[in-house]
Amino acid sequence: MSKPASSTDVRGDVQRRQAALLRLTTAIASAKDEHAVYQSMVNGLRDEALGYNFLGVFIIEPETGDRVLQASVGWPDIPSGMHVHRGEGISDRAVRDGKLHYTPDVRADPSYVPSLASGSEVDVPLTVDGQTIGVLVVESSEPDAFGDDDFEILQAAADQASIAIGRARLLHAERRRADEHKALLDTAADLTSEHELSKVLHAVIERAVSLLGVTGGEVAIYNEEHEELTVVASDSIGKDSTGTRLKLGEGAMGTVAQTREPLIIPSYHEWQGQSPQYADVVVHSVMAAPLLIGRRLVGAIATVHADPDRTFSEEDLRLLNMFTPSVAIAIENARLLAAERQRADEYKAFLDTMEDLSSELELSKVLESVLARAVSLLGVTGGEVAIYEEGEDELVVVASRNIGKDSTGTRLKPGEGAMGTVAQTLEPLIIRSYHEWLGQSPKYSDVTVHSVMAVPLLIGKRLVGAIATVQAHPDHVFDEEDLRLLKAFAPQAAIAVENARLYTAAEQQHQYFAALVANSPVAIVILDPDHNIASSNPAFERLFGYAESEALGQNLDRLIATEATMSEAEAYTREALTGPVHGIARRRRKDGTMVDVELSAVPVNVGDEYVGLMALYHDITELLDARREAEAANAAKSQFLASMSHELRTPLNAIIGYSEMLQEEIEDLDQPEFADDLQKIQTAGRHLLALINDVLDLSKIEAGKMELFLEDFAIAPMVREVMSTATPLAKKNGNRLTIECPDDIGQMHADLTKVRQMLLNLLSNACKFTSDGAIRLTVERDRDVDGGRELVQFSVSDTGIGITDEQMDRLFEAFAQAEASTMRRYGGTGLGLAITKRFCYMMGGDLHVQSAPGSGSTFTICIPAVVTGGPPTTS
Amino acid sequence: MPTILLVEDNEMNRDMLSRRLQRRGYEVAIAVDGREGVEMARAGGYDLILMDMSLPGLDGWDATRRLRADPDRITTPIIALTAHAMAGDRERALEAGCDDYDTKPIELPRLLSKIEALLASAE
Repeated sequence: MSKPASSTDVRGDVQRRQAALLRLTTAIASAKDEHAVYQSMVNGLRDEALGYNFLGVFIIEPETGDRVLQASVGWPDIPSGMHVHRGEGISDRAVRDGKLHYTPDVRADPSYVPSLASGSEVDVPLTVDGQTIGVLVVESSEPDAFGDDDFEILQAAADQASIAIGRARLLHAERRRADEHKALLDTAADLTSEHELSKVLHAVIERAVSLLGVTGGEVAIYNEEHEELTVVASDSIGKDSTGTRLKLGEGAMGTVAQTREPLIIPSYHEWQGQSPQYADVVVHSVMAAPLLIGRRLVGAIATVHADPDRTFSEEDLRLLNMFTPSVAIAIENARLLAAERQRADEYKAFLDTMEDLSSELELSKVLESVLARAVSLLGVTGGEVAIYEEGEDELVVVASRNIGKDSTGTRLKPGEGAMGTVAQTLEPLIIRSYHEWLGQSPKYSDVTVHSVMAVPLLIGKRLVGAIATVQAHPDHVFDEEDLRLLKAFAPQAAIAVENARLYTAAEQQHQYFAALVANSPVAIVILDPDHNIASSNPAFERLFGYAESEALGQNLDRLIATEATMSEAEAYTREALTGPVHGIARRRRKDGTMVDVELSAVPVNVGDEYVGLMALYHDITELLDARREAEAANAAKSQFLASMSHELRTPLNAIIGYSEMLQEEIEDLDQPEFADDLQKIQTAGRHLLALINDVLDLSKIEAGKMELFLEDFAIAPMVREVMSTATPLAKKNGNRLTIECPDDIGQMHADLTKVRQMLLNLLSNACKFTSDGAIRLTVERDRDVDGGRELVQFSVSDTGIGITDEQMDRLFEAFAQAEASTMRRYGGTGLGLAITKRFCYMMGGDLHVQSAPGSGSTFTICIPAVVTGGPPTTS
Repeated sequence: MPTILLVEDNEMNRDMLSRRLQRRGYEVAIAVDGREGVEMARAGGYDLILMDMSLPGLDGWDATRRLRADPDRITTPIIALTAHAMAGDRERALEAGCDDYDTKPIELPRLLSKIEALLASAE
């Protein structure tokens, strides 16, 4: 609820809140029962990152409509079980219309009841199957404490809780039904237990013996899976044959089971089909019949005569056939009951293990186990599970079992095939004869499937996947009972899939970061709080030669710092505990060689907990080599410029000197006609010299070689000296030069030569670009904007041609007189302002200009009265 | 009239400066490198030395230092002349033992005022 202060706080805050919300939803989803859902919801919302301190969950009592408190935080005096009557309290509104309600000032509300946190309140309804079943009440002691962010989080928590409550209730109801069903079956089974069955069958044989007047008989049950008969009742055949197993075609019963026709053997001892298992019986003749339901075999019955005088007739056979249907039905009922009982056992076991599904987080395992459980629950041939990819709007089959092909990886658009259809309609689907179904996807043309049942996996109304089960056998067709089971199973599967998907996303992100670290060209090492290496990446091995296995547990500084660099390395480590550090250093490789590295280290905090340091090393050998080369090249350039300017100046000195000398001599010789030409030679020479000096200055500044020679000097005499130099320049264009400089302006500490040069540059510019005007130099002492440093301010203003906006942009660039033509017209090197500005920067000052075309310009230099330190490198 | 020793390797500069100084009434003696300059200065008889700083072999800085370190304590005023108009040259020159400093190309009125000031203070 706290309002974040800065943008980085906002980002961190949002991440922390999202993490807290994920923890909350995971806790809710894995809650075992309804009450655990309430408890996880209030505990999760109290999380520091979310910071809700007063809240409670009320559930509506169906009989009275009262809201009953189930769990709360920050309400020490209000016990769970407290009732709020229907129609009372602020939260009643959310219950009535099923919408989130916000009351910014609860005291102003007519339904306000005094409580601990009487500021503002948010009420979020809990809704299951479209019906409001309760309300989440969140309070603050401050009025107007909640905003859109809070509504979003609280709504998300309430939605998750609603789903979980719905699921818990469904599971609870289903479990009760399963218990009842099983009890019923158990009772029935007692009545028709195997023991009972064999009693019935004995009774059957006894009746047959008396009815047919035979010596004895047997009944066997057919086991479809093993394709054999097992004798379950035997009477007076000369041995107890109970338990005997007969293959199809083996002995009398085996034969009738195979042919499905009754059989009379008049003389058993001469019969070729005897089974060795009956070699010792005392039997003369035999009559046997299959036990059938429709065409399906369930067992066989045989009667025997031990008396050689007795044989079986057609009449005997008719009488036996009167028995067989009821015997077959008795056997089948017993079998069905046993099967149903087994299924009930399985279903109960399935419900018992349902809850475990929520806590399994590895997606592939979850899906496999979801499918395995569905297949065993429904007793089907096989099935598939697909997850829905929202971005692609496609289902992807992620688990497949026994459907005649491995369909894993198959992608289905909504509407395509059975799962695609349920993903589109969001309704279950039973396809009784798959091969006649028109919605088949060509991707499944080769499956061996008879009938299909599919349901969508939904969380609320959001699709997360689909599940399909198939029957390969034509005798098994899905019915409503199967669908009921699968539908009961689906919400649980959906939550398991969703939890696993969230977990997988988090896991993928983790792997993504791990891959980033592993593939980073920068050596990365993570230290535990004791500064021992907890992990290192392959680039670390490439740089230092230590594999991760060698580095683990070692002290980083002792591993790669030498005696000479140890204290420096430890200082970096110490500093990194409190914040990011950055530096350039030399470290030792495993093979003992040294390497130049750029290093960075940051503390790693998870939430508010300090878990260690991360250090990065970047090999800068090449960079340093390049820098050394660049420095050498630069030094060569400076040397070249220095010697060039010397070589250029020597002949120039001769030109200027001789022309000056000749000017002096022609006065003596009285030949004034040469004076003008000599003056031109001298002016051109001096201009060239000024250019060379300026270029040299500029290149020195740019190479960082220009040095400051700081000294104390009196300002007023310096200004007077500059004025005397500038006066002839001013007069040339008919300008009036004035000065405003208090005599008591005092001293400054700066580079005298440069200050003088700067003032002369500005004054000579003003003289050049002004004709018959006024030029004024003003000198003042001033203070920095923040009142800190004392400044000396020199302003040169003129009444000249001024500067346009476009010219202003390029004013301080080298060789950037406003226009090329300007240089021809006004002379000058075009470097004066560039140099002046750079000198200003060097001394920690600045140069400003104010001007408008036609109305003159004012250039102002501000320099600290006491210039300190070395020059900053100019740019 | 005062006598000035001009130590200068460049022939044109030598010619020009000596002629201009002579026109203003100074006696000018010439040395073409540092070694000769030091020898002539030790021999004595000069009121002032104009010392070019960039000389072949023994340069002006070293020549000045030698003279000032000489057991005979050569105190003749020296004005250093440099072509490198670098800030710091003035300080370096004074440090080496020069009495003043000027840059080339020569601005004669400025140089004359420095010469006259030194000669006046030497009297």
